[in-house]
Amino acid sequence: MSGVSPRRLASGRVTRSAQADRAAAAALVARQRRSAPNGIWGMALFLCSEITIFGTMISSYFYLESDNKHWPPAGIKPPSVTLPLIATGVLVLTIVPMFLASRAARRGARPAVLGFVSLALVVQCAYLAVQILLFRHDLNQFRPQDTAYGSIYFTLLATHHAHVLLGILLDVVVLAYVAIRGLTNYWLTAVRNLAIYWYVVNVIAIVVVLTQLSPSL
Amino acid sequence: MATTSTRNAEAQLDLLERVWAERKGLLGWITTTDHKRIGIMYFFTALVMFGAGGVEALLIRTQLIGPHQTVLSPQAYDEVFTMHGITMIFLFVIPMTTGAFGNYLIPLMIGARDMAFPRLNALSYWIYLGSAIFMYAGLAGGHAPNAGWFDYVPLASKTYDPGNNIDFYGWGLIFNGISSTAASINFIVTIFKLRAPGMSLNRMPLFCFAFLAVSFALLFALPSLSVAALFLELDRNLGFHFYDAAHGGDPLLWQNLFWIFGHPEVYIIILPAFGIATAIIPTFTHRKMVLFPLVALAEILVAFLGFGVWVHHMFTVGYPTLVTVYFAAASLIIVIPSGIQLFSWIATILTGTPEFKTPLLWIVGFIVYFMLGGLSGVALAAIPFDQQVHDSYFIIAHFHFVIFGAAVFPILGGMYFWFPKLTGRMYHEGIGKLSFWTTFIGTFVTFFPMHILGLLGMPRRIYTYPAGMGWTFLNALESVGAYVLASGLVLIVLNLFISYFRGPVCEADPWEGDTLEWSTSSPPPAYNFPVIPTVSSPYPMWDKEDRELDKRRLERGEGLMATGHETLATTMQDAEVDEILSMPSHSIWPPVCALMLFGIFAMLLLHHYWIAFGFGVAGGLALISWHDKEAHAG
Repeated sequence: MSGVSPRRLASGRVTRSAQADRAAAAALVARQRRSAPNGIWGMALFLCSEITIFGTMISSYFYLESDNKHWPPAGIKPPSVTLPLIATGVLVLTIVPMFLASRAARRGARPAVLGFVSLALVVQCAYLAVQILLFRHDLNQFRPQDTAYGSIYFTLLATHHAHVLLGILLDVVVLAYVAIRGLTNYWLTAVRNLAIYWYVVNVIAIVVVLTQLSPSL
Repeated sequence: MATTSTRNAEAQLDLLERVWAERKGLLGWITTTDHKRIGIMYFFTALVMFGAGGVEALLIRTQLIGPHQTVLSPQAYDEVFTMHGITMIFLFVIPMTTGAFGNYLIPLMIGARDMAFPRLNALSYWIYLGSAIFMYAGLAGGHAPNAGWFDYVPLASKTYDPGNNIDFYGWGLIFNGISSTAASINFIVTIFKLRAPGMSLNRMPLFCFAFLAVSFALLFALPSLSVAALFLELDRNLGFHFYDAAHGGDPLLWQNLFWIFGHPEVYIIILPAFGIATAIIPTFTHRKMVLFPLVALAEILVAFLGFGVWVHHMFTVGYPTLVTVYFAAASLIIVIPSGIQLFSWIATILTGTPEFKTPLLWIVGFIVYFMLGGLSGVALAAIPFDQQVHDSYFIIAHFHFVIFGAAVFPILGGMYFWFPKLTGRMYHEGIGKLSFWTTFIGTFVTFFPMHILGLLGMPRRIYTYPAGMGWTFLNALESVGAYVLASGLVLIVLNLFISYFRGPVCEADPWEGDTLEWSTSSPPPAYNFPVIPTVSSPYPMWDKEDRELDKRRLERGEGLMATGHETLATTMQDAEVDEILSMPSHSIWPPVCALMLFGIFAMLLLHHYWIAFGFGVAGGLALISWHDKEAHAG
């Protein structure tokens, strides 16, 4: 019952997170917490919803495949494997700088946070650029209006790319706020959430690319 | 000595009052982040929707009162029954339960001063309001959705439904889904992180367990609906072929995706009712719930098992026997957790000292209809029987007993139960009982004959029927029942409306309730609790010494937390004190963001894709400004 006791509250030993507006104080609050803060919970649950969206789309992909004798349908070449796999591999490597940024944030090291997130941002932008080129290339081969294969193929990929784009925008916003405001308690949690967002999007990238390439594998 | 401490306590309350003061007037309501105000806005919006859905129901029943009626044209009839379903499910029951009851009561029950994400909470409300206006704009323009609430393709495809009726449905439900997703995330975090010190998970009220289960079910069920609706809109507006068999698509994909959402949805509708029942029963029987831990587990289990039974809505589509039998068996398993709860409610009432005041009467009515509707539900799990009565009035009878009799009765009982808490006044008991019996009888007369009509072969969704089918008398009886039912509902509204102005003033805890919302004044102050209570059992109001302790702490000014909108965060499982959070106060950004979302969906509907993009950019900028004012790091 020691933690329950209102005496602990009265003694002033409970941290006031909002007053931790300096990096060092915020880092101390983060270390003293005994359970994940609300923000982390919020992001984790939001990602549950996003994962379910991808799960539904990927299930739909295989459901439609099971309906069709030819998948992809006659006249459409099976997807080429090399470039999408390499691009995904490079994207997944950004887990490393994101992890380091998250750890630096908990130490209160603002320059390291800015550096690691920027590094990841460059790679993520390059990934998105390559993917957009591939998407346009595919659109010249076949269209989503031709068959159900095209419909689910392009919808699944576009949904994934939209999540990458959202992540890039989040990178930019968090970078800007951390650069201006510093690692306050609020933005410290935001950096950690950003890392969690990208872990999940990276794992989704792997599952999506394997689904996309499944006819050729 | 006593006067000094009382004066001390008054000074503390003054301080809290100043810190938590809301803005005045309309602007105060628009920018509010107070969970109680948001709950009240949810309540009245959902009530208006209930009225709209009710009028639609009466139109349907008036059309069917006899053969060859012409109150509604066939086209109008399609729109009216579709809007009735959409309204009651998406715009009334879910917002009323999670939005109004959950929002108002959960922070009060767990001893918190607000929700975990107050601004997100406001956003949920404004999106809900926007989606309701969006879908009703279709009806106002004569283009309401018209393919039924489950909107099967190919009927709902562009070929057979060329207007933009279905687009109001598709985009509207995606829009609405954002609100429910945000709300469910908010409830889960609130319940996990903001419980009063000592309220470990095993001491959490069953009401909160039910809402926790609902929130998880919503979180995982809604994506399926959103994806299904997105596919539908892509098919309809951009010429994709997800559901088009001629181009390798599959209409059954829609049915699967819809019911993967749709069946958990059924439990999403009914679980809050279970929660309200478990709040009312102990209070009016003056005893603790029988089998508390099993009931908590059963609530979670119902939500979980609800994800594995969706094909029982599709027994007639021609799936292999192996598939249908699996889903029939899975559907039967749900009887077990439902039965546990049913027996627990009954046993608690029978072994307690029940006081049959209005709220408990509604719960008894709920138990009766849940049992009747449950029995026909078990019957429907039998595949041959289901194939026989599929799409007949038997189905309508079954789910109206369950959804109206079982899911809505506790909502109505809950309105009476918590009315004194919201207003500080008491409703009229006699009229309360009268309204119950009128509604109870009306419900039976309206929906029971539908079983027989279904067995006689009357199909659902027909706009009229010929004389001489043997359906005329029962249909007339049902329509009379519907008017009786409606008058019961009007009595409730009148009773509560008049009591709000004329009812006798009552104390903070008129029922000797068991949960923490009764510990604070009626109506509760903006800060909910002067000091955050500590809890040592699932029935904190019956632990008198704990509540005495709260009072003494207030007099000493101990643990007041008044340097901002502060509340306590505790650990997830054991609810040990972890940190003091500072919550955001009023903000204009939630309604602005909701407005931008409305713009996006309206422009998607009108095919102005670049303008929709522009609204998206504006919404993004609004979100950036939202975070300019830092709240707690949450």
